[in-house]
Amino acid sequence: MFEVRDVHVAYGSVTALCGISLEVREGEIVCLLGANGAGKSTTLRTVSGLLHPLRGEVLLRGHPIHRLSAEAIAKRGISHVPEGRRIFPGLTVRENLVLGASNRPMRRQELEDDMTQVFHIFPDLERLKHALGWTLSGGQQQMLAIARGLMARPQVLLMDEPSLGLAPILVQEVFRVIKEINVKRGTTLLLVEQNASMALSVSHRGYVMETGRIVLAGTAQDLLRDPQVRDAYLGGRKTG
Amino acid sequence: MTTQRAKKSAAFPRVKPGYLALALGVVVVALLPLLFTSRYTTNLLILGAAWGIATLGLVVVLGYTGQISLAQAAFYGLGAYAVALGTTRWGVSWWLALVLGLLAAILAGAVLGSTTRKLGGHYLAMVTICFQIIYTLINTNWIAVTGGPDGISNIKRPPFLVPLNTAQRYAWFALVALLLVAALVWWIRDTALGRAMRAIRENELAAEALGVDTRRVKVIAFILSAVIAALGGAIYASGYLYISPDSFNFDHAVAFLAMVLVGGSDSALGAILGATLLTFLPEWLRDLKRIYLVIYGCAIILVIVFMPEGLWGYVKLLGRRFARPMVLPPARGALRVGGRGKAGEEILRVEHLVKHFGGVKAVDGVDFTVRRGEIHALIGPNGSGKTTIINLLSGLYVPTAGRIHFLGRDIVGLRPNRIAHTGMARSFQNLRLFRELTVWENVLVGAQREEGSEGETRDRAMAAIEFAGLPDRVHEICRNLPYGHQKLVELARALAGEPDLLLLDEPGAGLNQTEKQELIQLLKRLNDMGLTILIVEHDMSLVSRVATCATVLNFGEKIAEGTADQVLRHPAVVEAYLGDREVALGV
Repeated sequence: MFEVRDVHVAYGSVTALCGISLEVREGEIVCLLGANGAGKSTTLRTVSGLLHPLRGEVLLRGHPIHRLSAEAIAKRGISHVPEGRRIFPGLTVRENLVLGASNRPMRRQELEDDMTQVFHIFPDLERLKHALGWTLSGGQQQMLAIARGLMARPQVLLMDEPSLGLAPILVQEVFRVIKEINVKRGTTLLLVEQNASMALSVSHRGYVMETGRIVLAGTAQDLLRDPQVRDAYLGGRKTG
Repeated sequence: MTTQRAKKSAAFPRVKPGYLALALGVVVVALLPLLFTSRYTTNLLILGAAWGIATLGLVVVLGYTGQISLAQAAFYGLGAYAVALGTTRWGVSWWLALVLGLLAAILAGAVLGSTTRKLGGHYLAMVTICFQIIYTLINTNWIAVTGGPDGISNIKRPPFLVPLNTAQRYAWFALVALLLVAALVWWIRDTALGRAMRAIRENELAAEALGVDTRRVKVIAFILSAVIAALGGAIYASGYLYISPDSFNFDHAVAFLAMVLVGGSDSALGAILGATLLTFLPEWLRDLKRIYLVIYGCAIILVIVFMPEGLWGYVKLLGRRFARPMVLPPARGALRVGGRGKAGEEILRVEHLVKHFGGVKAVDGVDFTVRRGEIHALIGPNGSGKTTIINLLSGLYVPTAGRIHFLGRDIVGLRPNRIAHTGMARSFQNLRLFRELTVWENVLVGAQREEGSEGETRDRAMAAIEFAGLPDRVHEICRNLPYGHQKLVELARALAGEPDLLLLDEPGAGLNQTEKQELIQLLKRLNDMGLTILIVEHDMSLVSRVATCATVLNFGEKIAEGTADQVLRHPAVVEAYLGDREVALGV
């Protein structure tokens, strides 16, 4: 589906990614694991065009997209749910969701149907649909950010820490939804997630990043069994 | 590590850059009036010094405190007119006239500062513009007092050791005043007041929650900037011997703003650089006749676009190569937290707490008690009112109804900075660091208290930094730190005030398992030291490992309470919050 080839990214003089390559095939769920500052979010931001690589390329179905604007990439079906709940604070929940669908032309009925679907996933949002974004609690804003990403009906969904700040029952719900849109809609997903055991339980494959490099790749089962991954990301053992 | 630090300081005996700059300044002040020989250029030098002083006032209010002021020319005018009227019409001495002018500026600064203390951004800009325009109107139209558009002539110069009867001698006088004000502004930057100002600029809410009386500090900043500008005005009036309202209008207020932005608003030297450039540039460009204003305008735009930190920011960037960080001594004692009460005694009692936002009942009659030595978890679904309760306890919100007793005292209605002083500290769900300040400065703001010396503040700050394991990063700007370290800085900053009770809002969010293990160890260590903690957190494996008891909320009401273990088995909690219990607890 899409491929990242030997990408280098820097913020000013600080190198964030030094030559990472990864591939996500159509219909896959792939997760990126790693410590804070390893470059996971930077990778997502590079794929969605918010950052541009110094070297290397990003290919979507074989076509280079790394020089395109974020808007152009969104129109090609890649949707990004950024970390930190970047919702529109001065708009209502409903308006936020409508804007989520602005990457494609659509009929009014289609919009209403899609909205009914996301309200089914997050009943809280339906109750709050006329509330302004900033009045929502942190976790509700996170739900809205995910819901807005779903409204785009993307072919590829990039999710940055979807479970951040959500109650346990909603974390389980979010991962159920991730699995569901992957199976039912055939959406391809690239996940960044600190909750590694949850992420690996729904993923097909995963990559582990350290300081701007990919240090490990494998199927979800392999990574779940890997002693290093267990120690560092699954809370297998207590650390010094 | 201590020995390594000591060795470093022995190897590089160093002069503080401030003293070096002061020595350099003295030399420049001594030489400049000798280099400018013509009467015209010497007058320009005097004008540059006067404008430089007014711009230094803006460094305090805009550069340090982050409050935009477009009324600086009005304060500048108050000083000028006091000296002009005092020495010509009222027949008082120059120095008495100056004191009157400074008092008028203090009064005007206090009025402007206290009426705008709740405003920010473009609203503040508008109010200060109105203030400036009202001043200009009075200045022009109250002819009986101010002389109106004709202005005032025959202004006297101050009696001094030697008669200041030549432009050259007066230029020395003006430059010495500039140097003294610059030294004052430079010195304020790293005092407790200066740190409080810069904390307000970076994040007003966090500053208030850490114990900074933000309203008072903002009023002080306006007063300081007004007094400094008035001094500049007085120097200008006696330098030119004639003044008229044209020199104190809105155009000049904008010019002062341009000077401080071009020079670099965060620094005394930047302000002088900016004032110098914008005083002399028009003169150099004079030969270009009609297009000189265009070039002048373009130059300002270019500097602001390409050097957002001003010329001084650029100089600083070059100078960083040669800078050696200040060596800080290790703390004399370990971090003391948790107060000195008996374990198990009631420390916080919340009675029937209610908070409504319009029609939304965010918190609807909650009671709970926190005892000394506990780690008390506050859990519940998203939107159940947990963060609202933290905000009510720390004073950011005022409850609709209910009581909060902390250490035996009703704290409802106290401002957040007062509550911080009673011994309650907090962290924020989305980090609220002072991003452009160093780790050391961030923690110092948390450590400073009204009583006690600067030495004690530094000691507390260093103890907190050592506890958080950050001594190697003290001089780094927080913005540049990785997320995990930023979280530690926020924690160290909260601990530096030596609180009895620490409120933590989702400390585990965004941390991976390794980092969460470290957080658990850290919380346990703090608890062993006697600190009581109230924690809001969604990671149940973290909660079940650290919390001694828990209160569960749903829709703003308490639905369960007890030990962490009991609560996490409660059927209502499992249904509304946990879902699959095994998955949630990670077992």
